Amino acid sequence: MATDALRAQIAGKWQSAFSRLNRGEPGISGLLSFSEAWDIAAEFLHPRDLTDPTSKKDHDMQKVKGAFDTLSKAKMLPLLLENFLESMRKQKYHIEREVSQFMSQYDNTDDCQYIAALVLRLIEWYKAWAPIPELGYTILSAYTLAFHTQTFSILPPSFSRGFKSLIASTLVLVDSATPPTWANHPALEHSHPRRPDMPLWNAFDQLGLLDRYESLISSVCYEHIETHIQESCSGKWGEPMLARLREWMAEKVVPWMIMPYARGARSTDEARSMLQGIGSRFDFHVCKTLSDLRTKEIFDIIIDYPDSLCALQDLKECLQRVDQRTELVQTLRKANKKRLLHPGADTKDILLQYVSIIRCLRIIDPPGVLLFKVADPIRKYLRERPDTIRCIVASLVGDGESGDSLVDENEPIQPLQQLQVDDYTDPNWEPEPIDAGPEFRTNKPSDVISTLVSIYDSKDLFVKELQVLLAQRLLSIKDGNFERERRNIEILKIRFGESALQVCEVMLRDMTDSKRIDQHVQSQRSMSLHPTIISRHFWPPLQSSTITMPGQFNELQDEYSKQYATFKPDKKLRWLPHLGSIQLELTLQDRTVSADVPPLEAAFIELFSEKDTWPIDELRAKVGNVDRISAGKALATWVELGVLRAEGDGTYRLLEVAEEIASSGSAQSTRHVPLAEEEAPAIMTVQQQQAEQMKVYWKFIEGMLTNLGQLSLDRIQSMLKLAPGYDRTVEQLAGFMEAARREGLVIVKDGVWKLNR
Amino acid sequence: MEQINPSAVPTRNAQKAAPAGPGAEGGASTIKRLSSELMTLMMSSSPGISAFPKSDSNLYEWAGTIEGPAGTVYAGLCYKISISFPPNYPYVAPTIKYDSPCYHPNVDIKSGAICLDILQDQWSAIYSVQTILLSLQSLLGEPNNASPLNPDAANLWDTPEEFKAQVLKHYRAATDDSA
Repeated sequence: MATDALRAQIAGKWQSAFSRLNRGEPGISGLLSFSEAWDIAAEFLHPRDLTDPTSKKDHDMQKVKGAFDTLSKAKMLPLLLENFLESMRKQKYHIEREVSQFMSQYDNTDDCQYIAALVLRLIEWYKAWAPIPELGYTILSAYTLAFHTQTFSILPPSFSRGFKSLIASTLVLVDSATPPTWANHPALEHSHPRRPDMPLWNAFDQLGLLDRYESLISSVCYEHIETHIQESCSGKWGEPMLARLREWMAEKVVPWMIMPYARGARSTDEARSMLQGIGSRFDFHVCKTLSDLRTKEIFDIIIDYPDSLCALQDLKECLQRVDQRTELVQTLRKANKKRLLHPGADTKDILLQYVSIIRCLRIIDPPGVLLFKVADPIRKYLRERPDTIRCIVASLVGDGESGDSLVDENEPIQPLQQLQVDDYTDPNWEPEPIDAGPEFRTNKPSDVISTLVSIYDSKDLFVKELQVLLAQRLLSIKDGNFERERRNIEILKIRFGESALQVCEVMLRDMTDSKRIDQHVQSQRSMSLHPTIISRHFWPPLQSSTITMPGQFNELQDEYSKQYATFKPDKKLRWLPHLGSIQLELTLQDRTVSADVPPLEAAFIELFSEKDTWPIDELRAKVGNVDRISAGKALATWVELGVLRAEGDGTYRLLEVAEEIASSGSAQSTRHVPLAEEEAPAIMTVQQQQAEQMKVYWKFIEGMLTNLGQLSLDRIQSMLKLAPGYDRTVEQLAGFMEAARREGLVIVKDGVWKLNR
Repeated sequence: MEQINPSAVPTRNAQKAAPAGPGAEGGASTIKRLSSELMTLMMSSSPGISAFPKSDSNLYEWAGTIEGPAGTVYAGLCYKISISFPPNYPYVAPTIKYDSPCYHPNVDIKSGAICLDILQDQWSAIYSVQTILLSLQSLLGEPNNASPLNPDAANLWDTPEEFKAQVLKHYRAATDDSA
């Protein structure tokens, strides 16, 4: 039931609508002209089918403009726009059809030129449907937005892939002479762009593709950078790459970047400011990619040091820009574990690489935080290796023949550095770097040797090992030239301090003293024996032997002892006859044989001057029960020389007359044999000394287990304090007891040990 | 761990009174002497005798082991002894007794006390743990039947079969598990 008021309201509304459309014209003529104008405008704006040539009509622009004016006066433009957009939606299928055509072509061929063609075709559609600019900005932007929405809804997922490869193809376009295939597109016929890719970028922009696929475009560039770095920098450590990469960026990538990011720039300055943000992002990416690459290669870079210095400097610069320090540490630690810290690696190699790591990481990170983190596992591992100390010491004294030394010759020799406490009064003091862990100890740029020595807690071990090494070297010197050793000792004194090397000093003195004493003794009575006289107390234990020299050798020794006793009445000589070498000349019936042989060989052949045939066991008894193996070896030397003959039943016979077979090989009557080298080292190594000590402790353990029954490990450890000089840890003891258990000496049950009997 | 043999328990108290508070009177020289004797004993390989301090904090109380010498009735048997050094050792002889019951003419079967001249009036500072242990070992095979602590044993000595039966009857193997 309509009330009067409602009726009146509707009537009013109708009236005002009518007068708006009629625009105050008489009768309904206004209404008629409006309807005519609407038709013209709608017809003009109608989205036509580009593929249908008949649909293209020429409009009288005068009339069209008039029609729009009329509509504008009637305030019907929004309605017209709505109408237009609606018909666009209805006509969408034309575009859809073409898009799917292009896309299927692309999907079949994977050629991005179809994508380009598609984009350019879309532009044609866009232009064809666009309303005239006179309609104002609002209508245009509404149209653009609607067109974008329509096209985006049409584009299939594979478009983004094709679009990406199209973008990638523009990268190489910058400097390619031949225009791309899509440049001949009819839409571009009359344009003469500055650059071949310019129209394409404009098209992208008009279609709103740039905004929509922004991340895709930058990812294309990222990938481009990555490939370039992979190709140009992998394995090239000898030259600075970062600067070159930046040059490359400026020359090749920046010009390309102008298109997607600074197309609208009118001046260089403007372009520069537009590119700043994205440019620094790309620069960051360059640094990150390079640092990733170098991080991956770090182990080999270190091996190549110092040839790879440039790569390290690049890495340093990159790491300042990107935060990849943790990755670097982890990668290097992993690589070290995999490639370095395994049983197959020589200790010397590990040390060499460690030294290189020290040097390299100091370049990358002078405060040493990275080094500290990387070095820790290496140091732990080295501590477990038995021959680490020996290797370090050997390189300390410059083992001439071992080639590359751990120590840089040019490095100044400095005293060992102790751990330094931060000096807070130092005006140049800097706090620890932010990623330094709580255990980080500032190791001021110290020399390599200090770092190596600090692997162990005390330097005493080094000094001990040094003594052993020195003893070996001194005893092996035959020409009496100790200058090298003296020089080494002087160098080491600077490092370890005077007092630590006192013993070494004595050892060296012994050598020169021996020479002097020998000269004196010889002056009293000329003898063919030249002993080296050492002060037992200051030398590492020498391996003992039961050997006694027979015949003339013994006489010589006695004679020498007598002379020595008159020279130094308060001292007594104790012979170590198994060390040294003897020059012999054997006069046989038909020939003389001269040889330079170890004492045991000489002792045997001396015995053969008593009688011609000896059983081996009798020979052994005569020289003090040497073991069968070394006796056999010594006799074999003579057999080889054709002086003796093994009879097979364990007896040896002297060949006064050379046997046919023996002498047929070489006709000379005099032969020189090199001294049989490769004997067991005369000096006990530190390890052997420790094993020797452990034998003493075993007696104690045996004693306590015999008398006290069963004991726990802790109890054994504390009871061992009764043994003089016991300094092992419980862990070491546990290892030892375990070894004893394996030998069946003890048994363990519930943590208590007892003797196995 | 100290209770090597339960039979030693009754006599323990009497034993403890003798060396009063070692360390107080026991000078550094005594400690040094005992350490060096321990070292010598450990390094010498005398078969069948052994001794070791009962604890690392008290060098004055030792436990010892004597194996019966071969060719005697004690062959194959193993006796535990305890040695207690006075603070003025070596000027005074240590007190020694058998912890394992030992049927022997010169050993008290109950208390384990030993009658041996060098442990009493014949003691000299040149003796050491090692010499004492060796003497005790040889005493097993050659008892002094003139001054017996165990007259029954002294009487039986001349009939080895019966003597051995008595020895075995009283013998109790020192097992570690008794601790």
